[in-house]
Amino acid sequence: MQENIIKELEKKAHELKQSTLNLCIGACTGHVTSSMSCAEILAVLYYGNILRQKPGNPKWDGRDRFILSKGQGSPILYVTLADKGFFPKEWLNDFCKENAKFGVHLQCDVPGVEITTGSLGHGLGVGAGMALAAKMDRKDHFVFVLLGDAELYEGSNWEAAMFAGHNRLNNLIAIIDRNWLGVIEYTERALSLEPLEDKWRSFGWEVKRVNGNSVKELLNALYDFRSFRFTKPLVIIADTIKGKGICSMEHFPLMHGAAPRGEAAEKAKQELSECFF
Amino acid sequence: MDNQKHMRDEFIGKMHELAKKDRNVVMVNADMGAPALDLFRLELPQNFVNVGIAEQNMIAVATGLALEGKKVYTFAIAPFTTSRCHEFIKLNAGLMKIPINILGVGAGVGYDDSGPTHHLTEDITIMRAIPNLEIYSPSYSDMAKNVSEIVYKSPNPTYTRLDRKLVPDLSKYYQYDDFTSGFKELEKGGEIAIIATGNMVHNALEIRKKFLEKGRNIGVIDIYRLKPISTDLKNTLAKYKAIVSIEEHLLDGGFGSIIAEIIMDGNLNTKLKRIGLKDYFYIYGRENIQKRCRIDVNSVVEEIEKI
Repeated sequence: MQENIIKELEKKAHELKQSTLNLCIGACTGHVTSSMSCAEILAVLYYGNILRQKPGNPKWDGRDRFILSKGQGSPILYVTLADKGFFPKEWLNDFCKENAKFGVHLQCDVPGVEITTGSLGHGLGVGAGMALAAKMDRKDHFVFVLLGDAELYEGSNWEAAMFAGHNRLNNLIAIIDRNWLGVIEYTERALSLEPLEDKWRSFGWEVKRVNGNSVKELLNALYDFRSFRFTKPLVIIADTIKGKGICSMEHFPLMHGAAPRGEAAEKAKQELSECFF
Repeated sequence: MDNQKHMRDEFIGKMHELAKKDRNVVMVNADMGAPALDLFRLELPQNFVNVGIAEQNMIAVATGLALEGKKVYTFAIAPFTTSRCHEFIKLNAGLMKIPINILGVGAGVGYDDSGPTHHLTEDITIMRAIPNLEIYSPSYSDMAKNVSEIVYKSPNPTYTRLDRKLVPDLSKYYQYDDFTSGFKELEKGGEIAIIATGNMVHNALEIRKKFLEKGRNIGVIDIYRLKPISTDLKNTLAKYKAIVSIEEHLLDGGFGSIIAEIIMDGNLNTKLKRIGLKDYFYIYGRENIQKRCRIDVNSVVEEIEKI
């Protein structure tokens, strides 16, 4: 793998983080830490030649579908979509303000957004339906669903996982942002999610586990997905750090919905700028 | 009623007919059987998806299929396809306005022998609170068949509540009707009319008969589309001095409440008497339940005589 591509994607992930932090500080709201943990995932999907999309034609039928099931990660997706040209960057200026185009959670009427999310446990089932439709119509696009790890407490995910596994939806790829934190507690203290790999495997999925903050590992996990080498749906368990890049917010409970203000905001900006070389 | 078909089978039979012409028609099913469905599965297995007894996933998968252009029907026992997965319907169908067609069988206490777990006496209240959702409540088989095609053509998400049991035919009232108005004054009355939906329309007609024997003419109005409610209904209600709504449903926010809203919001002088279920879970035997709750024919006759 070319080192320069990795460097470029790492740089892009960092830029997305900076824009997202500024967006949330400006709006005094938005889930910063949930966005930081999945920055590399979005950078790889949108800039790493993974998602087949046309920003100028968001509803292009041949596009790969991307569902951000963890809708609280909307700030970084909005930043990404604006950067890719799905909609004017100026729209970001009104984030969470009166008469804004969008707010804290994800809205399907924003170009590039497939479904409204925010209530957890919806995305995988809808994605499975989309993948099934593609199979019925013999279309070759893929459906990606990015899930939060604590989202997996919602039982509907396992209904959908069983359904996708049984129907061998090998055009469906779930990525779990495994940042090990819910809202108030570490997942393994609150209610154990592990062993996650065994769980998904037993539901009929192909399983990969990577460092989700490593562009290189994410690219490796996805390099041949379009070959349909697997006969099962694929889940990538991406171990990440919640708040990655902002030391004062990293891997710390109760930072879930926090957007830093005042001195904390300046500190967060400083920490984020120092974390990338 | 020997030659009558269940509303469920007429509804699904029509869907089958449509699916033969339109390969995009898909049934997503939560492991629920019906004779008409057996035929559908046999002839069009590629258009049939069983998600197992998982109603949340049924709505989610249906949404995904509909987003990709499929004309999706879902089917489950009514309480499980409404209360059980209400938020999935609210967000996926209502909020995003995805046109999935939800079919629930067993409205009211149709599954009387199964007990309160299988009764559905709150769906009108909770489903009409979902924006963009159309709600149908047919009163006989041929109407159910027509509603199946109406929802197929609708650009909105829909919920159709059907009675589980065989109901008498009402075709004589609906000749040449296209079922688009949402209600029909089946019998014109003098000063009082009974208003009902679904299986209770038949109770209303029985009540009318009892009063005819006594020389009183009581009208009967059938509401088969609960949302959006017809704007013309107000004019029909205004003709009467008193309306009696009867429902096999909780009174809290239910069918009678819809009528009350029309009367109040329209500043009508018509009086309203709501008759329905009180805050309680009921067990076993539709007749028994109706009598205990005083929504059976004789009890309602007594109530109307007090007006």
